[in-house]
Amino acid sequence: MSAPLVPNLFNVCEVLTLAIVWIVDQILYGLASVIPPLTGLAQWFDPAYRDRLLLTPLAAEPLIIVITWLIAVTVIVIWATLFNLLTMMWVERKFYSRLQDRYGIMISIWSLPFWPFNRTRRPTHRGTGYLQNIADGVKLLQKENITPRNADSAMFHISPVLIASSTLMIFAALPWSSGFYVANLDLGILFIFAAFSLAPLGILISGWSANNKYTLVGGLRAAAMLMAYAIPMILCVIALVFYTGSLNPLTIVRQQERTLVSLGPIGIPAWYIFSPQILGFIVFSVSMMAEMERVPFDIPEAEGELVEGWTTEYSGMRFGLVFGFKWLRMIAGAALITILYLGGWSGPVFTTLYVGGVPVPIVPEEAWFLLKVYLVSVVFIWISWSVPRVRIDQILNIGWRKLIPYSLATILIAAGSIAWGVWAVG
Amino acid sequence: MPEFWINMGPQHPMTHGLWNMKVKVDGETVTDAKPEIGYLHRGYEKIMEVREFQKNVVLTDRLCYVSSITWSHAYCLAVEKMMGIETPERGQWIRVVSLELQRIASHLMWLAAYGPDLGLLTGLLWALRERELFLDLIQLMSGARMNQNYPRVGGVRNDLPENFEAMCRRSIEHFLKKVDNEYQRVFQESKVFRMRTEGVGRISAADAINWGVTGPNLRACGVDVDLRRLDPYETYEQIDFEPQVWHDGGAGDSYARFICRFNELRESCQIILQALEKMPKSGAYRVKAPRRAEGEGYAKTEDSRGEALFYVIGDGDDRPYRVKIRSPVFCTMAATPLMLRGNKLADSVAILGSVDVCVGEMDK
Amino acid sequence: MDVDWELIAFLILSAFEVIGSILVVVNKRMVRAAFWLAMTLVTIGVIYLLFLSEFVFLIQILVYAGAVPVLFVFGIMLTRRKIMDEPPTEAAP
Repeated sequence: MSAPLVPNLFNVCEVLTLAIVWIVDQILYGLASVIPPLTGLAQWFDPAYRDRLLLTPLAAEPLIIVITWLIAVTVIVIWATLFNLLTMMWVERKFYSRLQDRYGIMISIWSLPFWPFNRTRRPTHRGTGYLQNIADGVKLLQKENITPRNADSAMFHISPVLIASSTLMIFAALPWSSGFYVANLDLGILFIFAAFSLAPLGILISGWSANNKYTLVGGLRAAAMLMAYAIPMILCVIALVFYTGSLNPLTIVRQQERTLVSLGPIGIPAWYIFSPQILGFIVFSVSMMAEMERVPFDIPEAEGELVEGWTTEYSGMRFGLVFGFKWLRMIAGAALITILYLGGWSGPVFTTLYVGGVPVPIVPEEAWFLLKVYLVSVVFIWISWSVPRVRIDQILNIGWRKLIPYSLATILIAAGSIAWGVWAVG
Repeated sequence: MPEFWINMGPQHPMTHGLWNMKVKVDGETVTDAKPEIGYLHRGYEKIMEVREFQKNVVLTDRLCYVSSITWSHAYCLAVEKMMGIETPERGQWIRVVSLELQRIASHLMWLAAYGPDLGLLTGLLWALRERELFLDLIQLMSGARMNQNYPRVGGVRNDLPENFEAMCRRSIEHFLKKVDNEYQRVFQESKVFRMRTEGVGRISAADAINWGVTGPNLRACGVDVDLRRLDPYETYEQIDFEPQVWHDGGAGDSYARFICRFNELRESCQIILQALEKMPKSGAYRVKAPRRAEGEGYAKTEDSRGEALFYVIGDGDDRPYRVKIRSPVFCTMAATPLMLRGNKLADSVAILGSVDVCVGEMDK
Repeated sequence: MDVDWELIAFLILSAFEVIGSILVVVNKRMVRAAFWLAMTLVTIGVIYLLFLSEFVFLIQILVYAGAVPVLFVFGIMLTRRKIMDEPPTEAAP
């Protein structure tokens, strides 16, 4: 069986919190020797003292629990943005550069401005380029935030917040393995879709408030397109719920861990992509590409005709937020596809060692999950850099005339296959 | 939603150069369009009156910076006709080779710009990668990548370098392979590309002729007009080639324009190969041109974008009395509102990219 | 010190909701009104959450916060004569 690298995020964060509290406590004791009234506060944080007074243990204090939750959320946000967002942008930039017969970003660690050693003979632009995105972010932070003169200032400033926060909300319910998640909601998938669906409002508001014709047209296009493609996406999930009977991502993945058919040594897992839901998988992936505003469907910011679409008037880090969080949505979308159709973190090889009864994973679940998420993303990147952009009326035609009937057909297929028992419910 | 005007330019990713396309949209549908040009007007016809005949070649190079040789060649041809001199045969063949090389480089630049217009950035980098081959050949021939200053009144500046022929053959062989395997797949055979270009920006053959549209844009309407065939200059009459005309249905749309230009890439390669074959291996490549001349010279050539026309009058001085330039893009631009009306806003990019605008020659 | 946190949360949320719905009616700019409408609907959703009905909360967010205001703004933009303050454009040639 498998084992996640993080067995329980809350417990891990609790240990972290207690360690931080211990350090704070030592500092408080040190201060208390100078400022005596602080002694009581220091003793309140001291587990040994609490034991002596038979108070509740420190870990059970509501304040500490709240801090632990905050730390857990921070860990997920840092993991999603500082690691996965940067890595995904790096993967995309390197990958499409290779498609276009060039090297792409090549900034190496030697080009850091504060590097203390002699840099004259070091190759500053022959590295992997991972630092380039960080450098871009720093550059955007230094830039001035310009608000257009006739813009509706409040709305103009609110919409990046709305987009960024709703994107981060996705990661509250998105599990990275059977232990690495913030909240295990019964309706996790529905929560993720709810968070996804908030962004069109932000896009529309930002497009309107900038008082620019390009942003207005871009916002209108974004709203029309995202609305049209959210429907087949949700219909596909409804079809999938026929099989899963649950909207909890952990349950859905657990159902896919068994083996469907054994072909000699190779066992085909019971992923939903191998079920009659293969049509649903295709429809869901196409809709997800539209929801991520990737190139065949990137008409909201078609840089050919609408300078930068609804993000035209943003500058500085506000532009960085609305621009960079597209990749975060892409990660979330790829993770959703992986959980729903590609077996989540279940994989063929789990090397787990038991060291004194504690499972130590060599290939943890997170590795499989990340591998699948990045593979799905690379396929998306590949498609989006080899096809031109589709026109708005063609996009809406595809959405309303093709994808919605297909997704309704998936519901029929699901109901039929359940009724005749073609696919056993896990 | 009320109709409003959208400025596609002058600072806009769609405009390849500095001009402004005002587009009136009703929602997403273009109801009217108005090109605004003249941002790059440099007063060419006037400047050329104060410079000597031979020195004007430098100016005409800069008329269209992606298709320099074809423009300076047209000027040289007009001046030669005025002076009544004839280029030696080898000079004419070298001119044909350089013209076709320049045509390929120019069409590749257009292809490179058309890709990102439709959201396909990969096309840009691929086309520029192969353009490099032809720029290298041109550099080998003339010494410069841009603004080559290569044709001269009475011939060309210098002879072909050694083993130019072998290098040319090698590059063309490599290029034709890339055209068949890569460009054709990513552009012509791509379903999304055809969805974007087929049936948009349609202009009838009658309209196109009335508005003065020439070159590949006119051939895409099904009109078999190619000055290299109809009114051969240099040694084009000795070359066996097929002008790329759109014969199927649905003529005059962006896809037809794309196909005509795209096939011209292959056709130009064949012309170069034939010219290298039939070219005399040695001989004079230039005759001495007189310094002063009197009379009228008139030359029209098949430029990469249409019919380029030079009309030069000399009054016995060493500089022209009057020069008139007919720019093909200038006339095509006047017809773009016809193509744009009724299409979607996103199509304006697919249309204006397919007519291949070069602002330098348009504004003169 | 027995504080009814749920009551306090309910009061805060309903205050938000009342203020939001007043702003929907009072606001002169239609898009702002639609934004406040979205906020009002989200607060209603959170009140559902107070009643421990998660499903209704999520559906409320999905439908009433994600879709309905977008449709409203869409309708406003498509039907109103004047969407933004623009100088009178010149007539067509």
